[in-house]
Amino acid sequence: MGKKILLVDDDTDMLDIYKPVLEKAGYNVKVAYSGTEGLQVFQEFGPDAVFVDLSMEHFDSGFVLCHKIKQLPAGADIPVIIMTAAGHETGIRFSTQTSEEKNWIKADDYLEKPIAVHDLVQYLDDKIFRDK
Amino acid sequence: MTETSTKNILIIDDERGMREGMRRLLQMLGYNVETAETGSSGAALGIAKEYDIYFIDLKMPDISGEQVLLKIKTRYPEAICVIITAYASIDTAVNTTRLGAYQYIPKPFTPEELELLVQRAMDKRWYILEARRLRQERESRLLELVNEQSRLRTIINALDDGILVVNNEGQVVLFNPGFLKLMDIKTEIRLGQHILDFLHKDLREQIETLLVKPDTVTAIKQEIVVFPPANLVVMANITPILKKKSEMLGIVAVIRDITELKKLDLLKSQFINMAAHELKSPLTAIQGYLEMVVNKTLGDSPDTYENYMDRSLTRTKALVNLINDLLNITRLESGRVRREFVKTSISGIITECFKSLQDDIHQECIDVKLELDDKITIQADRDDIYRIFRHLLENAVKYNRKNGRIHVRMSKEGHYALVSVQDTGIGLKEDEKNRLFEEFFRAKNDLTRRIAGTGLGLTIVKKLVDSYAGKIQVESQFEHGSTFSIYLPIG
Repeated sequence: MGKKILLVDDDTDMLDIYKPVLEKAGYNVKVAYSGTEGLQVFQEFGPDAVFVDLSMEHFDSGFVLCHKIKQLPAGADIPVIIMTAAGHETGIRFSTQTSEEKNWIKADDYLEKPIAVHDLVQYLDDKIFRDK
Repeated sequence: MTETSTKNILIIDDERGMREGMRRLLQMLGYNVETAETGSSGAALGIAKEYDIYFIDLKMPDISGEQVLLKIKTRYPEAICVIITAYASIDTAVNTTRLGAYQYIPKPFTPEELELLVQRAMDKRWYILEARRLRQERESRLLELVNEQSRLRTIINALDDGILVVNNEGQVVLFNPGFLKLMDIKTEIRLGQHILDFLHKDLREQIETLLVKPDTVTAIKQEIVVFPPANLVVMANITPILKKKSEMLGIVAVIRDITELKKLDLLKSQFINMAAHELKSPLTAIQGYLEMVVNKTLGDSPDTYENYMDRSLTRTKALVNLINDLLNITRLESGRVRREFVKTSISGIITECFKSLQDDIHQECIDVKLELDDKITIQADRDDIYRIFRHLLENAVKYNRKNGRIHVRMSKEGHYALVSVQDTGIGLKEDEKNRLFEEFFRAKNDLTRRIAGTGLGLTIVKKLVDSYAGKIQVESQFEHGSTFSIYLPIG
């Protein structure tokens, strides 16, 4: 069984796109549609990495979910990557995070959508699971 | 010396021959002559108006010429009075000149002597009048100047903009109440006080820059946050006051409140950020699907990708809708909407909307009940009313459940047409209800996940209803349904 990936996004299309691609690449994938559901699935599923969309039920749901995962004993060392279409140039919150906020969120990385599907696989292989 | 009008002469003499003789002679010379035969009547006449020349006999039975002279001089200090006297009283006559008489003329005198005297007296009179005119002119100018200054002061004090003028040593020369208010200065400022003593750091530094480097003088614009974060933001325009090219006399700072502008600016960028995010999201999905199709990521079978193409199409259509909605909102907000007001039947428009939604209603097996009233019409632009009900009814269908119901009722409530649209859909939570009309707000939960929407529909509906001085109300119960009530003025 491959590594376990949790995808959290309120845009079902994004899940429909990434899930089969990651599965084809050998990952075991589960999805969740909101921050609340994301935390629940995280605890049940125990993933090796989590991708979280930033704006779901609230514009900063991704930040909150990431924070909560990192607070869990099982979540502290799990890479959490926050993704958003609100990148630097649209700048809703990404570019204005203070170091205090960053410490609170504790995200391992930030990715700007759109992320090409093969790039996502590449990203996992190269960056997240390179040494594992 | 030009004669602008006939000159007036008053002769006060109790001796008839002298009085009439002088009158004849002076009238022949072109003067306007009046006479009085007693001292008291002469004094009364002479005080009633100012004559150019007064002839006063020194010896009269009732009151003396000296007394008459005093009365006239008291009233008109600049009056030209000539004392007529006999040789016997010449000493007294001399004395009268001390009392302010212009001249005395001893009796008897020849017509030539009289003419010469009158001419000289008239010249003197001209100088007096001219001096008086110039004096009055100067006084009125001074008054104007004082008025002008206080007028300027009043204008400066009335300005909303703040004004501060300092001299080249940084001492306050002038400021207005607007300045104190905008810079939030609560302490008293004295003229001559140095700016270091009270001025906001940002403004002081800019003024000091100009003060110490007068050779590189250019105007400075400086934004100053007086109350952070953005409760009072001002723009200071700081300009040197130059004499000729090089010498700087001082600096004037004009302070303008730009708080509202900053707020608008922030709202605008927030809107653009949101819009960009909302535009990018569907494109991200479309791009993802197309990449998979083009790269055959999941193998060669076309069947695998059919659903992806369908979804791409759906998202593309949604994107087009979003752009249309964005344009509609911009159009509504610009206030430059061209409307054609006509008698519009709401029931007709609702029927039309339902026709266009027929496929979806059918597919979801939604039961539609219409209680319409053809007689209720409003004066409105047809397109606006169509947009309002199209958005509302589309929501009633989209957010309904399978085999659900939609109930539209119409009635007249006072001066308003009331249309209520009730659905048996997913309903709204309390906090969602409050945010319903916000731009890009969409209730996000398990039930709404698969429903496409721009988050702008109800924003548009509200803006449109507001523009007709109407009202929109929402009642809703989560998971049971919502009722939207629209009030539009009848007319």
